[in-house]
Amino acid sequence: MTSILFLMLKSPHENVNLELVDELGKDTKKAALLLEDAVYYAVDKKQGKHLADHVDEVFVMADDLAARGFKGKASGRFKEIDYPEAVEIIMERYDRTITI
Amino acid sequence: MTKTMVIQLRTGSMMSMDSNVAVKLAKAALEKGYNVRLFGYGEAVTVIKEGQDPRRFPNVGKELKELVEQKGLVVVVCETCCVARGIHRGEEIKGTKVGSLTNDFSKFVSEGDRMVTIAR
Repeated sequence: MTSILFLMLKSPHENVNLELVDELGKDTKKAALLLEDAVYYAVDKKQGKHLADHVDEVFVMADDLAARGFKGKASGRFKEIDYPEAVEIIMERYDRTITI
Repeated sequence: MTKTMVIQLRTGSMMSMDSNVAVKLAKAALEKGYNVRLFGYGEAVTVIKEGQDPRRFPNVGKELKELVEQKGLVVVVCETCCVARGIHRGEEIKGTKVGSLTNDFSKFVSEGDRMVTIAR
């Protein structure tokens, strides 16, 4: 099974079309990597659940979460990672990345 | 064989944190032993301008210069985008290149193992 890592940079309050994740990720293992304002998904219960329903796992950049005052506050299904872990996920664990 | 990460950056050095994300990702990948190629398109051509001196933002130019000199980062930006913005050859940080989509980016894509797009 192929796998896709979706990179997300925008806040959940911007125009983010998660239907793309379903369309582009049909029959694939899917994950999201949240960077910059996209980390708000990890601390917004409603938006976070919405995103988590579209993918198999979600990674959150810990630096960006901390920069916004939410250090260690990612909810349960969101795994906080650093840049070396992000590189490992991009290069070794997923076949391709798509930025949405 | 060493794997290669290609980063396509499309936002400028002062527009958002995108360029900082690109630099941090490139640095982490280089330190893990991967090759990294960064291509700047559109506003992102500003990252290679020599002499950047932001007072309230991280200095992306300085960070890129260090990665080019010390870690082997390859940085190329789109010439057409540079010309459009009045950035001329000779104004780029030493070791970076004003190149093209057709000659450079296409090669990066064909030779890279993973491509990461950082854009708005």
